[in-house]
Amino acid sequence: MEGAADSDTPVTERSAADRAAALARLLHRDCTRLLELYKERESFLSQHAPGGERLVTLALCPEALSTGEQVGHVRSALRRCMGLLECLIVREVEEMGEELEGEYESLRKTVRDRLGHLLHSTGALLEEGEGGCPPSPPLQCTEGQDEVEASGSFAAKIWTYRVLLELIHWTDSASQTLHLFHSEKHGQQQQLL
Amino acid sequence: QALLSLCLGEPPVPRGLTSNPDLPAQTLSLRWQSDSSLFDLEIFHTELMNVVLNETVAVKADPVTGLHSWTWHSPLPLECTSLSVHIRARNQLSVSQWSPLQTIPGSDIPVKSESYMFPQDKMVPVGSNMSFCCIVKEKEDFKEIMYGRQEMNATRLSRRTYAITVTNQPASGNTGTNVICFSQRLTLTGAVVFVGYPPGDEGLVCETRDLASAECSWKKGRDTRLRMKRSRTKYTLNGRQETHYTRTTDRTHCPICSKVWEENWTLVARNPLGTVQLTDSAQLTDRVHLLAPANVTVVEVKAWSATLQWSWSVAAYKKLEMVCQLRLFTHELSSTRNYGGPGLSSVVLEGLWPDSDYTVTLRCGSKHSFWKWGDESGPYRIHTKMDRPDALDVWMWMDSSNTGCVFWKPLSVRKSHGALDGYEVSQSSAEEDGWTTVSLPPGNFSYPIILNNSSDITVAVAARNPAGLSQPSTVTTPAYRADSQLSVSELLGTNGSFVLSWEPNVNASSGYVVEWFPTGCSGLCPVDWKKLPESDSSFTVNSDSLVAGVRYTVSVYSLSTGAPLLLQRWQGYSQEMIPSQSVSELSPNQTGSDVLLSWRATDMKQQRGFIRGYTIYLANAAHLDLIANITDPEVQSYRVKGLSLSSYKFVVKAYTSAGEDAGATVAIKMEMDTDMLFVGILVPLGIMFCCLILISICCYKKREWVKKAFYPEIPGPKVPGDWSSPQGPLDVKPSPHSLVHIVESPEWDFTKEGLFPVPEEEEESENDNIEVDTDSDEPALLRYYNQVVGDGSHSNQVSDSSGSSTASVGSTQTEITYAGIQSPTSSQGVCGGGSYRPQMQSVAGPKIEFEADFQDDGLNTGYKPQGSWQLDSPEAENLSGSLGSPTSVTSSQFLIPECSEEKPQPPNTWFHNLLSGKS
Repeated sequence: MEGAADSDTPVTERSAADRAAALARLLHRDCTRLLELYKERESFLSQHAPGGERLVTLALCPEALSTGEQVGHVRSALRRCMGLLECLIVREVEEMGEELEGEYESLRKTVRDRLGHLLHSTGALLEEGEGGCPPSPPLQCTEGQDEVEASGSFAAKIWTYRVLLELIHWTDSASQTLHLFHSEKHGQQQQLL
Repeated sequence: QALLSLCLGEPPVPRGLTSNPDLPAQTLSLRWQSDSSLFDLEIFHTELMNVVLNETVAVKADPVTGLHSWTWHSPLPLECTSLSVHIRARNQLSVSQWSPLQTIPGSDIPVKSESYMFPQDKMVPVGSNMSFCCIVKEKEDFKEIMYGRQEMNATRLSRRTYAITVTNQPASGNTGTNVICFSQRLTLTGAVVFVGYPPGDEGLVCETRDLASAECSWKKGRDTRLRMKRSRTKYTLNGRQETHYTRTTDRTHCPICSKVWEENWTLVARNPLGTVQLTDSAQLTDRVHLLAPANVTVVEVKAWSATLQWSWSVAAYKKLEMVCQLRLFTHELSSTRNYGGPGLSSVVLEGLWPDSDYTVTLRCGSKHSFWKWGDESGPYRIHTKMDRPDALDVWMWMDSSNTGCVFWKPLSVRKSHGALDGYEVSQSSAEEDGWTTVSLPPGNFSYPIILNNSSDITVAVAARNPAGLSQPSTVTTPAYRADSQLSVSELLGTNGSFVLSWEPNVNASSGYVVEWFPTGCSGLCPVDWKKLPESDSSFTVNSDSLVAGVRYTVSVYSLSTGAPLLLQRWQGYSQEMIPSQSVSELSPNQTGSDVLLSWRATDMKQQRGFIRGYTIYLANAAHLDLIANITDPEVQSYRVKGLSLSSYKFVVKAYTSAGEDAGATVAIKMEMDTDMLFVGILVPLGIMFCCLILISICCYKKREWVKKAFYPEIPGPKVPGDWSSPQGPLDVKPSPHSLVHIVESPEWDFTKEGLFPVPEEEEESENDNIEVDTDSDEPALLRYYNQVVGDGSHSNQVSDSSGSSTASVGSTQTEITYAGIQSPTSSQGVCGGGSYRPQMQSVAGPKIEFEADFQDDGLNTGYKPQGSWQLDSPEAENLSGSLGSPTSVTSSQFLIPECSEEKPQPPNTWFHNLLSGKS
């Protein structure tokens, strides 16, 4: 039985990494579309890109050496993005209520759900021994407001824009890293066979 | 300084000026101490020292604190740039020195180096004006400020501050209107403004559903356009915050606003832009809005009624005097019935139809101080029981003296009271006892009747359904009356209907029956009838039961205890149409130059209207020419007279009041009558023959006289000179098919040129006044002679060739034309092989005009000139005596050629022989 389990494990890992990479690609497209919808609502964002610092950086973790560690780093960034997205949703619901149910609101919920699935699937990959960065402390939604220069609705809009940019950036990064991770695993499996 | 001021008479400078800015309200409160009550105030933009306020105000000191206070509302947010304020006192004579400047720092001071925009998240009403300012961060340039999608003109307030003013702001979108400050390369900062409306709620109404608590609702009114949660309208009812309310399309409800009824209600609707207050006041009994009846059911169903029962979910309703409205729906028809009573919970529905489906809904309201109908119950279905059918409408139609048919009309759903199982037809006669009954299935609506003897038969028909048998309807056979036995009137339709009226009959104790059916129908005819009360003496047969273009027989019977009695009969069309078929058997019959057209009228079914006459047309290539219009439809023939021999096509059309039919066509070719042909030819021939015989006999009898008259003896020639030397006779016959010009000219040498043949055409063109019959069959020679005979007395005329030739001798200027001197060609070869060749000169001179003819003539060995003209010939003066005899050219005498027996006989030869008796 153990031997059978060992023989099945690579196949499961390969398919899980592949599925995670595909989910990351899908999530990247969703985030890109979500930003487009937000720009349609707030037209000024299409004219000049607002300046400002990145909201999520990899300074949480030392430089990754292996692909597995890179997956861990990306996952940490995605967890941070997830926190920002949830803060964003709370803020927008608080401001606008839940009465607005357009495409933006629907896709926003979809991104949150898929991002949760991606975090779960990448976490499962890392549990197989690849390691990763230590979990970052939970994000407080007030931090998001502190990170913009001013308070108020305009600052919230800029902050939302930056959160969406981070989502696009890190889902793209996750897609590439997971694809690389899947390729390496696949190559190792071929060598074993 | 104060002493100096006093010395100068100036009021003292205000002391202790302090400023207190209210940034959200954009107001600046100033306080100072002074003994004066009139002050000059100046406010600057500190950096550029632009004066934004310069005003003289009268401010009294607060009696308690002794301070003067004054508030200034800034059009711009106070954060935009630093402001400086100073003040001076003023009296009637002079002003004090300005107080020291009091500065309110803006956000554009160097220590605040970032970009800012003011105001932030302001909520303003639609149409208001507003100013925004952008503070550009250090070391960044300024490009523009956008209000929504609109680029605004910015005014510089300080080194880093720029401001815009927006007027008449439109309502914002869901997330407000963005005001953005751009540098050349990026978005510097921005603000959001929410432009909307104050609350527009109205129409507060409170009512009770359970006779205890209150429910209030109000109309939402205009959309405030403020979507942000913090800017939505908040409601308080009688001072209580209302958070649980529902919205319908146009009203807002709070389901349980108060557990006890309060007679006065005040609703306050408030949002950041305004407040509205609504009030309502009423007694509880005046605002009862009942809930829907529950558990609606039918406890008893009959054929004509049903008992409906329901319950109330609120116990307090049981004592309430209420009115209930019951709505019945059946077959897309609805009716309402109202019932009343305290705590009403059941009603008996009367007037229902048996075997019918009904759907019932119910709603109730308070009877006293009725406020509104309560909620309606759900639909409840009822099906009533069956009952016996109604009596049938029966009629008997006789199509002969001993056969007929009893008809009955199908029962409607309302009258059958349940699905019919069939019919029972019973008949009895006076001579037979009892009834003979037969059962028929429900699809039958007639039954044949045969009268074996002359006695009447009474027939009873009843309908049967599961509930029982209907009352039988009886009818007695009416006496059969053929149309020929009656004076049938013509009936004209009126708008597709028959309008009938008749003389009332005293025997019509049971009324009248109007019967109609297609004329000429036999067997299963669509007989229809209508029974009328005895008081009626008119009836209109509607177009629904009539077919246009069909002739109907309409009869009126009077009903009494016995057999129906026929009162009157008509025939007519509800709407006449043109005949569907043309006349038949159309045939032509020629009689001499006449044609008799006969035809037969088409069958009655195809007439589709009363035939009013016939029209006869003569068909030409593209149209019809009306020949006759026969207005008597009984006339079915027509004689077309005086036709010539040709082919003809006739069209006969029958017409009704609606118009002509397509027409029947017949063609005929007129032929000659053979008897008349013979008469027409033979009679003139016979007459002509007889006339010829008579003329011949007459001429023969009088031949001597005729000879003397037309052919006198020709005297023998008298020769004055020596003509003994034998000389051959001179043939002077003219050349065939030639005309000769004989021209004499003294200057012309006769030996060189002679007579020229002239073509006939040339002669005609040059002598138009001379008639030349070139087409005549008469030989040219004879014609020539005849001319001589006819015109001999006019020898000087040009047309007289012989005379002319004589008369022209000696006149060198005269042109002589021998017109028509011709000779049969056949004579040329036989008689000397040549023709006459006069060698006279042409008047045209030596030139040969018709050289070709002349040269052709030269080929023949004809006549050659033998000498000169005898100008002194004694015979030249009288040629008439030489007619009919050959004549010498030189002697002007006619010569008889030797070969005359071989020449064709001139036309007058046989006549001459006849007269002279030669055979």
